[in-house]
Amino acid sequence: MKKLISIVIDVLLGATVVALVERVIVPSLMDVKPWAFSSLSMSIIIGGAVVWASIGLLRGASLGRLYTGLDIPEGASRTIVSHLGWIALTTCIIGGWIITDISPVEFLSGEGLQGAGRIFGALLTPEFDVIGAALSAMVVTIFTAFMATVVAVPLSFVLSFPAARNVMATSPMGKTIYVVLRAILNIMRSMEPIIWAIIFSVWVGIGPFAGMLALVIHTVASLTKQYSEQIEDVNDGPIEAISATGANRFQVIWFAIVPQCVIPFLSFTIYRWDINVRMATIIGFVGGGGIGTLLTQYQGLARYHEVGTLVILITAVVWTLDVISARVREALR
Amino acid sequence: MPLLSVRDLTHTYPNGFQALKGISFDVEAGEFLVIIGLSGSGKSTLLRCINRLIEPTGGTITFDGADVTHITSDALRKHRAQIGMIFQHFNLIPRHSVINNAMYGALGSMPAFSSILGRFATDIRTRAIEALRIVGIAEKSDVRADTLSGGQQQRVAIARALMQTPRMLLADEPVASLDPSTSHSVMSYLDKINNEMDTTVICNLHFLSLVRQYATRVIALKNGELVFNGSPHDITEQWFTAIYGEDAVEVEIR
Ligand SMILES: Nc1ncnc2c1ncn2[C@@H]1O[C@H](COP(=O)(O)OP(=O)(O)OP(=O)(O)O)[C@@H](O)[C@H]1O
Ligand SMILES: [Mg+2]
Repeated sequence: MKKLISIVIDVLLGATVVALVERVIVPSLMDVKPWAFSSLSMSIIIGGAVVWASIGLLRGASLGRLYTGLDIPEGASRTIVSHLGWIALTTCIIGGWIITDISPVEFLSGEGLQGAGRIFGALLTPEFDVIGAALSAMVVTIFTAFMATVVAVPLSFVLSFPAARNVMATSPMGKTIYVVLRAILNIMRSMEPIIWAIIFSVWVGIGPFAGMLALVIHTVASLTKQYSEQIEDVNDGPIEAISATGANRFQVIWFAIVPQCVIPFLSFTIYRWDINVRMATIIGFVGGGGIGTLLTQYQGLARYHEVGTLVILITAVVWTLDVISARVREALR
Repeated sequence: MPLLSVRDLTHTYPNGFQALKGISFDVEAGEFLVIIGLSGSGKSTLLRCINRLIEPTGGTITFDGADVTHITSDALRKHRAQIGMIFQHFNLIPRHSVINNAMYGALGSMPAFSSILGRFATDIRTRAIEALRIVGIAEKSDVRADTLSGGQQQRVAIARALMQTPRMLLADEPVASLDPSTSHSVMSYLDKINNEMDTTVICNLHFLSLVRQYATRVIALKNGELVFNGSPHDITEQWFTAIYGEDAVEVEIR
């Protein structure tokens, strides 16, 4: 199994390196647009990947083997691993430089600097006419985050117990539920809230409701994980003691596990709300309502003095909440 | 018929370690049985097999005439509810009041739903106060359990066990984290429960002086095997070295 994974890693790495060279580095050195993707390119990439992986297989030394923790023979093979590593790293840096259009010239050109001066100037001379609209949009954002947290907390609480190993490890059935639930939560968490916001803005229409739903999904996934890790961390003693009285599974959870978790749960929850306010702002950019939506509107109109007001307001609110939530969490300890 | 009968009991942990290697003994109702043995000899494992916090991997355990070796769900909870247990680290619920901790001893005989809603009947409350009075700590009823001293916490734990009106009380090194005089106070409560309430006690202990004072019978474990079964007064010098090894010196606790 480990061997298989190491081969897959090597093949993918080899393909990446060859593809970067063939698609990006060589065309840019020749100063032409990348040529059309043909079966020739395809075979070059596949060939490269195979060669790359075979070096590893033949010499028993490759980055894949290193990563999966397989044995690597001493001596010459170690140098192969480091050579392959350096080749991969340099190719990726050169390829990445070209792909991201890095251009120090534009960054520091007179025209560029003039543009920067204009926008910073505008941001620093905010237009306070919009403050009324900005404040009410900010209230929308804060409450989007608040409602998302309020809806997500009970869901996370209920889900966190089946997602905790020590609660579920008692039976094979329990273990299965645990593994499946953890996998679903991990997938949910890897999808950024901004993507959920795009989905929900199509589903329920642009506005705070879409933003709230997106945040609920992300918050449930994150909080459930944090809660369940806390549950896995509890002291076993009270669990034994309550079990020994003849209590059933739910009583053990309620009387032995929950009391050990409430304070950390509260602390995680407050922190989540704080994070959600920041996220609600970003989500506004893609149709989640509130201050983010307002910001994109003014940005689209290139009214940077108004944008400046909004930026100041967002910064102030986020900073204030950050301080408050840190204080509260401190006091809970 | 003995209250508890253990036959050829073995337990192998999931990692393959065999902690109990075929243990047999009986316990009559009313006995104060003490289990001694070096650290790691399997004492805690044995106690946890008796109230089935652990499922044995071999042998049988008969309690009050019923085979409880592999029972599950309702039968298992009913079995556990008849047997109180106290622990070295007390295992009270932190942040909860003393009286609540005592009342949790009644969980096994309550409908789960009403217990979770916090609806403890008035008679449970009355009994909890009575149990706390027996161990002399009723005046601390409303104090948070984790603010008490070790000896006080252990007495609350005893009260919690008493709430089960147990046929038998298991004590896993109940005084190992207490100072000598507190140890005696806790042991004397166990003794009182044994004598006055006719509750059978099985207790893991480390100090032989306590064993001689409280035990009516002693069994000794060594590497998961039973190496001694008899009166505390029969633990001679030879037995002592056999159980604890060549280099051991007996420590007194007064
Ligand atoms: N969960 C477990 N998994 C694997 N081995 C365990 C587990 N629990 C205990 N053991 C091992 O089983 C043996 C007996 O443990 P047990 O706790 O019953 O000993 P003990 O006599 O109570 O010791 P102590 O006086 O230290 O409490 C020890 O060697 C211990 O390492
Ligand atoms: Mg032990």
